[in-house]
Amino acid sequence: MNAESTPSSSDERRLSNPDGALLRSVLDADIGQVPDVLDGVQRRIRQRSAGRFYADGWSTSRHAPTSVYLLTALFMLAICALTYAILRPFAGQPAETDLTPAPVEVLAPQLHRPEASPSAPSSTP
Amino acid sequence: MASSPALIPDDAEARFVHRLRQRDEQAFNELVLAFEERIFRLVWRMVGRRDEAEDMTQEVFVQVFKAIDQFRGDSKLGTWVYRIAVNLCKNRAKYHSRRHRDGHYDLEGSEARATHERAEGLTSGETSRPDHLVLGYQVEQIVQMCLRDMDPDFREVLVLRDVECLSYEEIGAITGLPEGTVKSRLHRARATLQAAVESSLGETIR
Repeated sequence: MNAESTPSSSDERRLSNPDGALLRSVLDADIGQVPDVLDGVQRRIRQRSAGRFYADGWSTSRHAPTSVYLLTALFMLAICALTYAILRPFAGQPAETDLTPAPVEVLAPQLHRPEASPSAPSSTP
Repeated sequence: MASSPALIPDDAEARFVHRLRQRDEQAFNELVLAFEERIFRLVWRMVGRRDEAEDMTQEVFVQVFKAIDQFRGDSKLGTWVYRIAVNLCKNRAKYHSRRHRDGHYDLEGSEARATHERAEGLTSGETSRPDHLVLGYQVEQIVQMCLRDMDPDFREVLVLRDVECLSYEEIGAITGLPEGTVKSRLHRARATLQAAVESSLGETIR
């Protein structure tokens, strides 16, 4: 390695320094955003304890939550009924529409009569 | 960076451990929030992969939750959590070595690169010349590669002492080694690392 690419003396000191300064400088980097560990830990404990800890009442349930489905359906029906009851008075009556058809004048068809040709021989008696 | 596993005052620790033993979820949340960053840093430096470090950090706290009844209070709670983390990392390293997995060491990646700009000395950060910048970056790569290839027993004392800045006593409590053994192992680890780096650089660095 030539002089151009030789590390500086301070660099060499750092590498040979037994207190691990180089190691720190290489590894003691800001690791940026630390991931959200808590959510993952809670999820693992919930799954491995079959919902005994950090239970949310549904993610680790061993049975289909039929009652939840039923209650949700009833709740949505109630919402629909309530909405209809509120909006119904504002609907009003439909405007009167005259559905009588307009009178139609029926004309007699005009017969097409071809005009007499001037070159045609006259039928003089 | 000076970090110590002891984050909870002595008088409060006993009460806190009691809450953990009662499986108080709120207490456990506090434990995770108090230690997650330090454990993640430690694990990341031990395993070298960010995604794997995230997975293992979660696993550390799951193990703490499962084994909190076995905590006898002979050491600090933080030291005990560190011990679980180090043991998990060593077990993972042995697992990988058995499977001959060529782990991708990505400590140099993404966010770490940005902060290397601030690094000093032989690292690429403080050099202004392009050739020195390249050389510094190569040295970083080499040091990381040598650390990855190092024996896990050596790597743990190196990381705990030279990166985490723990005392010999704390390292002894975490690794279960006598203080004298920690010192001798650290000395051998540094020598091994330096020899490996020198060998990789192809020259003797004084």
